[in-house]
Amino acid sequence: MDPSRGAISELPIKAEVRNFNFHYGEFHALKDVTMPLCERKVTALIGPSGCGKSTLLRSFNRMHDLYAGNRYGGEIILHPDQTNLLDPRVDPIEVRMRLSMVFQKPNPFPKSIYENVIYGQRVRGVTKRSVLDDKAEEALRAAALWGEVKHRLHDMAFALSGGQQQRLCIARALATDPEVLLFDEPTSALDPIVTASIEELIHQLKEKVTILIVTHNMQQAARVSDFTAYMYLGELIEFGYTEEIFIKPRDKRTEDYITGRFG
Amino acid sequence: MSEHLSKQFDSELDSIRAHVTRMGGLVEEQLRGALSAFGESDHELSRLIIERDKGVDELEVAIDTACANIVARRQPTAIDLRMVMAVSKTVTDLERIGDEAKKIAKATRKIIERGNGGCLAQVLQVRHMGEQTASMLHEILDAFVRLDFAAAAHVVRRDKEVDQHFRATVRQLITYMMEDPRTISSALDVIFIAKSIERVGDHCKNIAEDVIYIAKGRDVRHLGLKGLVREMDVP
Amino acid sequence: MSSSAPSDVALIRAEIRRRKRRDLWFGALGVLALALALLTVVTLFINMLIDGWARLTPEFFTSFPSRRAGQAGILSAWVGSLLVMLVTASVAVPLGVAAGIWLEEYAPKHWLTDIIEININNLAGVPSIIYGLLALGLFVYTFGLGQSIRTAGLTLALLILPMIIVATREAIRGIPQSIREGAYALGATRWQMVRRHILPYSMPGIFTGVIIGMARAIGETAPIITIGALTFIAFLPPAPLVGTPPFVNFEWLSAPFTVMPIQIFNWTSRPEAAFQQNAAAASVILVAMTLMMNGLAIWLRYRLRKNLKW
Repeated sequence: MDPSRGAISELPIKAEVRNFNFHYGEFHALKDVTMPLCERKVTALIGPSGCGKSTLLRSFNRMHDLYAGNRYGGEIILHPDQTNLLDPRVDPIEVRMRLSMVFQKPNPFPKSIYENVIYGQRVRGVTKRSVLDDKAEEALRAAALWGEVKHRLHDMAFALSGGQQQRLCIARALATDPEVLLFDEPTSALDPIVTASIEELIHQLKEKVTILIVTHNMQQAARVSDFTAYMYLGELIEFGYTEEIFIKPRDKRTEDYITGRFG
Repeated sequence: MSEHLSKQFDSELDSIRAHVTRMGGLVEEQLRGALSAFGESDHELSRLIIERDKGVDELEVAIDTACANIVARRQPTAIDLRMVMAVSKTVTDLERIGDEAKKIAKATRKIIERGNGGCLAQVLQVRHMGEQTASMLHEILDAFVRLDFAAAAHVVRRDKEVDQHFRATVRQLITYMMEDPRTISSALDVIFIAKSIERVGDHCKNIAEDVIYIAKGRDVRHLGLKGLVREMDVP
Repeated sequence: MSSSAPSDVALIRAEIRRRKRRDLWFGALGVLALALALLTVVTLFINMLIDGWARLTPEFFTSFPSRRAGQAGILSAWVGSLLVMLVTASVAVPLGVAAGIWLEEYAPKHWLTDIIEININNLAGVPSIIYGLLALGLFVYTFGLGQSIRTAGLTLALLILPMIIVATREAIRGIPQSIREGAYALGATRWQMVRRHILPYSMPGIFTGVIIGMARAIGETAPIITIGALTFIAFLPPAPLVGTPPFVNFEWLSAPFTVMPIQIFNWTSRPEAAFQQNAAAASVILVAMTLMMNGLAIWLRYRLRKNLKW
């Protein structure tokens, strides 16, 4: 039933955040965050607005590089090659080719479904039609969308419903064979039934890829994740197995947040 | 029952149901074993029953932990919530039945070690009462799997018989003790065993009330048989 | 609060009627102003049409200007306009679009880029004759490009360049940041993102800006006169496409020329009524061309916009 849960330090790790600090200009947004990302597991980041969870997530794929005035401190180490993703000598494009992101509001490109899915392959210079077709089918199957769109791959992506569009974005992110999949509140714009189907999808995806998900919905974190990290005002307050966090958290601040005794 | 959108949730609920069934089976085995040891004065079997009670206790802890996990992670509602809450109570009752079986085994050992066999007629009677409750346990475990509230109501009725049976047995043993004071120690042991069996019947009744709660959403505890039947007829 | 008494309701209703009346007044005023403006333009146009109707014949389009009003035509004028527009477009569009893209996507957010932005917006309001004078000094004399189609094209390109840059920037600003982030998150370089996303999605806005710029350029007179377009041209510039290799020649760029507005100007300054008729006819054609170009801009914008739903 409940497999005896080993110590976290003995599990295979995909990435490690070490003493990570982040500044938006003068504002010290993330303070000395250290946590592991366990391989092929779902880790959730929870916390009230402004706690820095999205900031942390977007640091993994160097999205902050797109805007001026941001400063990284510390390391995010990716295994097995021990690359520090934050090293200025590491090209952000290389980082983004290894880690994919799914955003809060579905953002398909105003192109066809097919063009959306294979976009990641195109920017890598893949042009062979058969390769692209195979990749598209593989990714759409993995996102549980293939059956619904296989007859209309060249229709505009906007013809799809909200839930389908988000699955399309997931397929697009999967088509680049990422090592880590980053989800930034992926279901906050979707209704409960669609949300449930995407949570089920995440559960299937974790067999192949490590997942880090930011959510402001605690119950979603409880349902979907193996590990949970509670953050508050830029600090990592507690990290642990999801069952432990939600049944007997070690830190009172965590308990206050989870039970709603906040403020 | 139809499936949840989350297959994970379904498998967690199934897992709990399976473990409850397993625990029930184990406890039923314990009970029958204890009764058999009592009837046949089997010292070795009694020892085995006492040892195996540990397994029952471990199952109780494991199932309760799983229930807590489901509540924390899945926020179950309606029938799922009733099931989880009722399972938690049922498991406690099952564990107590296991304890009663252990007590029966312990008392049996004492009787064997003391040596005066005696009270043969009462032993048979008590054994018969025991078989009754073992069959009640079997019936209620079946009803739990099928959420069969009619069968559950039947078990509640049978408990009344067990209670009557118990009172009759005690009267007889008191008469026996008054006739021959040398038999008081063993007679008392038999009375304790009979009391344990009567308690097993009560626990089965509790489990039956839990099954009705899951199936109909009605809390029928403390209503008495008439009240229970009335509640059950309400759709 | 208890339910209103009947007298309160009556008061409310009277007040609403009062406010609605004011609404109507303003609506009426607006319609009047609009009608006045439209009426003026329509009247002028119909006037021109009536005046020049008789002259709108195929021969009008294929004849050179002549001292005899009845035989004069706009052949050299509209060919000249066409060739000048060709040069204008080929210079202004690539430069303007590239500048717009660089300013929006590549330039760092700096006080210097802010100054550049303000200046570009101002340039769009500079009187066109200033461009003519600038072109005279720079293109005709300093660079020695002569009083040619090339010079006219360059001058008008300068004139409409700010409009195209602004149109490009506005179109690019309409693209939501989520699209850019989505592209970058998949590992695109900046150029890949610009080429596959920014350019295609800003096409509707850019096209519209280009066509409106061209519609303006086609009617510009002052700068063309300043750089020395001739008013009486009875010949065509050498053809760009020839029958013998290399099949394309560029001599037409250095040829003297005239354009539609200048031809019209020339005719209106002649006293004979017949020439006034010619001028009216040519004006009608010029207005029609402008309207058609604007119509094309609107249609293109509609078609290309259909697929862009943010």
